[in-house]
Amino acid sequence: MSERRFGALLSLVRQGVTLGLDYGTHSLEVMLSVAETVEEAVLEPGSFVRTPGGLGFALANPPLRTGAFSSIRARVAGRAVPPEHVRLRGGAGEAWRRAADLSRTAPWTRGPGERTEFEIDLPSSPAGETTVRLEFECPAIPPLVWLEFTETPGERLP
Amino acid sequence: MSDPAGTSLPVLLTTLSSAVILNDRGDLSAPLETRGATVDWGGVYGQCVRLTGAWQLRLADASGATPLPESWRAGGPMPGGYRTVHRWNDLDLVHEVVATPDPSGAVRRLTISGPPDGSRDVHVVSEFTPFLLPVTVEGLRPTSFRATTGPDGVRLLQRGFGLEYRSDAMFDRLYLNRASWRGGSAEGPLAVVASGHDVRVPPRGTVALAWQIGGGLARSLRGADAASALALARPEAIGASVEGADRAWRDATPDLRFPGAPQLERAYGLARAGLRRLYCAPGDDLAGLSAGFPWYSAIWCRDVAWMVPAVLWLGDVEWAVRTVESVFRFQGRSEVPILGGQAGELPMQVAPGPIFLYGTSDTTLYYPGLVARIARHGGRALVPTTWSIALQRILDWGRARTDPDTGLLRNGGEVAAISAATAAVARIRFGIEAVDTTIWDSTDRRDHAIDVQALWWEALTALAEWLGPEDDLGRPARGLADRLAGTVRTRYWWPEEGYLYDSWRNDRPVARVRPNALRAVSAGLLPGDAARSVIRRAGAEDLATPWGLRTLSARDPGYRPDAYHDGQVWPIATAWAADAAFAAGLPSVGHAYLDRIAAQLAERPGSAYECYRGDRAEPFDSCFLLGFSVGPFLSVLFERVWGLAVAADGPTLRVRPSFPASWPSASLHGLRIGAGRCDLDWARGRLTVGWEGPAPLRVTTAAGEGTIAPGRSGELAVPGADPPSPGET
Repeated sequence: MSERRFGALLSLVRQGVTLGLDYGTHSLEVMLSVAETVEEAVLEPGSFVRTPGGLGFALANPPLRTGAFSSIRARVAGRAVPPEHVRLRGGAGEAWRRAADLSRTAPWTRGPGERTEFEIDLPSSPAGETTVRLEFECPAIPPLVWLEFTETPGERLP
Repeated sequence: MSDPAGTSLPVLLTTLSSAVILNDRGDLSAPLETRGATVDWGGVYGQCVRLTGAWQLRLADASGATPLPESWRAGGPMPGGYRTVHRWNDLDLVHEVVATPDPSGAVRRLTISGPPDGSRDVHVVSEFTPFLLPVTVEGLRPTSFRATTGPDGVRLLQRGFGLEYRSDAMFDRLYLNRASWRGGSAEGPLAVVASGHDVRVPPRGTVALAWQIGGGLARSLRGADAASALALARPEAIGASVEGADRAWRDATPDLRFPGAPQLERAYGLARAGLRRLYCAPGDDLAGLSAGFPWYSAIWCRDVAWMVPAVLWLGDVEWAVRTVESVFRFQGRSEVPILGGQAGELPMQVAPGPIFLYGTSDTTLYYPGLVARIARHGGRALVPTTWSIALQRILDWGRARTDPDTGLLRNGGEVAAISAATAAVARIRFGIEAVDTTIWDSTDRRDHAIDVQALWWEALTALAEWLGPEDDLGRPARGLADRLAGTVRTRYWWPEEGYLYDSWRNDRPVARVRPNALRAVSAGLLPGDAARSVIRRAGAEDLATPWGLRTLSARDPGYRPDAYHDGQVWPIATAWAADAAFAAGLPSVGHAYLDRIAAQLAERPGSAYECYRGDRAEPFDSCFLLGFSVGPFLSVLFERVWGLAVAADGPTLRVRPSFPASWPSASLHGLRIGAGRCDLDWARGRLTVGWEGPAPLRVTTAAGEGTIAPGRSGELAVPGADPPSPGET
């Protein structure tokens, strides 16, 4: 554990104790349950895998925003992935769409509980812990919504 | 008018702790355009938690099956609920839905009447999607649930949230994810929960089935009890009780009549009814007002602040006190970066749990003014003594963000601070690149947005008034307010536009035309000529449309007609324009803006849309009922059209109406001032004031003043329409 992470955890403990003292443990429990739900309801557990061309994973929900996304950008290990190398679809049996083909008139639309499968083509499949960042743009509410996770990709069942 | 999804206005049923959203065909399904996509917002909401997604009924027999809406024949409101009439094969059906306060949720009942020639066997399926997450966690439906059966029905849990699903008749079948379920306990992904009843309808006989869903916080689930049994057995009684409470509330609010402007009179009634739908007491001793429906149905403290003044004019001082008390409970006592909170700061939103979150630059600033208003309407004795401490903390919080030389308060940066606080501890990190968190929080208005300065000035003025001129904190607050007013007048004036800059950043003005500048006019920060110039500029067609004011000038390079805060039309901005126009002495301009809002309210009764596209009068990315769209409108009717100011300690009433010259008369009956109520009847320059109260009422008008003894009435001269000012044409 890095010093930064340890310090952050200590700060979190301090803030949790403060909240518990000020507002009761009920409050802490419920807010923690919201945080856990948010964390677990987006990236599908176990979905992050190496593919023959790069990486794949699935989101069980749109992150923080519902609606129409005119652009979705991906970064892997800090490097931007060209949008033509990012594919997405709702699930098995649906046609893949390229992120490069998304636009204001042809957005990717997601409501609560609607999943999205991603495949990202990379020059070489990363080994070990990898950070993936996605940036979603919804024209109705312009600020970018981003999602970032760091995991070690598994192997896809042949 | 239709929204892009082509859907009709949903039916909204509410109690203080619950809500139901359904369609006019009787099913709890309501697809609505949401941020450019279509999302189904139908379902049951309890304790600010979305309990279910769509909840649908189906009928089946040996000949086939049908969703209930396809058998629809007629429908309409029933007391506290909604009733639809259906015909399927040779069966007559009546379907009723009510929202229930206890348990917080809903009951629906289906009554099936059979034909004379023989009995009929019907299988009735009830099917819903579980949600179990606070409404304001946008875009997410939890992926894993725990389902258990017991003698009372089915219980679903999702971490700290839960619901109970039961019927007045034992379920013949249960299904999870459309597979039959023998009951017991199950855990995992859950898309659909369903139940089936086998019903034999006798010849000429009727059979009734009822279903109930209630819940919210898991710890508030308590199994079947007398309240839930009553709701299930007699939903019409619950509905009648809810409607009775609504009626009693409405009857206690003022009755406004504008014979010269029936559209405004009707809009008053519609806005008042809309505000009532937002009343909210979801549990954990919280009371307040929901920001709106469907996706903001929680207590957002900035939104509350725009509604409380209207609540006070409607005479519900006690609700205003409970609301502000609920917000003050969560005033930050120390720094909590993970929630974006600082000492003295008021929360952005609160919900049962309690769940609360900070991180706005402006919410805290509204509350000194609200406390002052509560004292004016209800009397200073009504204000809890503990609020003085809360107000002092607000002053400290604001001063810490303020440049002492200019008085300018800094806004922005909160979201980045929250992201930084959570970055190192979360497995999955999220963020919204929102750099600013004031009222237009999806655009960048750092560092010193004009409306935030007007708000800060109003807060300082209210604090100074509250603390008194001799107080050690009151004096510097007054001094800071004066410095700030001077800064606004000198730094923000934009001569080329005859308007105010939108903000100051890095020692440079942000030259963008937004309606937010109008707030400085309403606050009285500008001299008359400058104020009228701002009103005229705001009325130019790049900012003003026939359906209201845009959030950004159409000439601005960043304008987009579908951008929430960079081009869309917001009724609250139109209400700001009306308020400012009256304040600047341009009443005909103010009335024209009010008429635009009145037309919108009348177009779809039951709605008060959040926002419209900037290029056509079409709701877009819009809640169908928002407190922003009714609260300020109501306040303008009292404060500007009637020109009222009250002081319960006295009591005194100031009346300076701005009625159009064409109006023959106007009346306002049942205005609450402290422990008394007064009736105002105006006709052609004469005002009759009736007063019932514990002490004489002193009334001032532009033409003089008089005192009305309790139980008596008196007449005063009151000019109606203000004479047109030199700038008004």
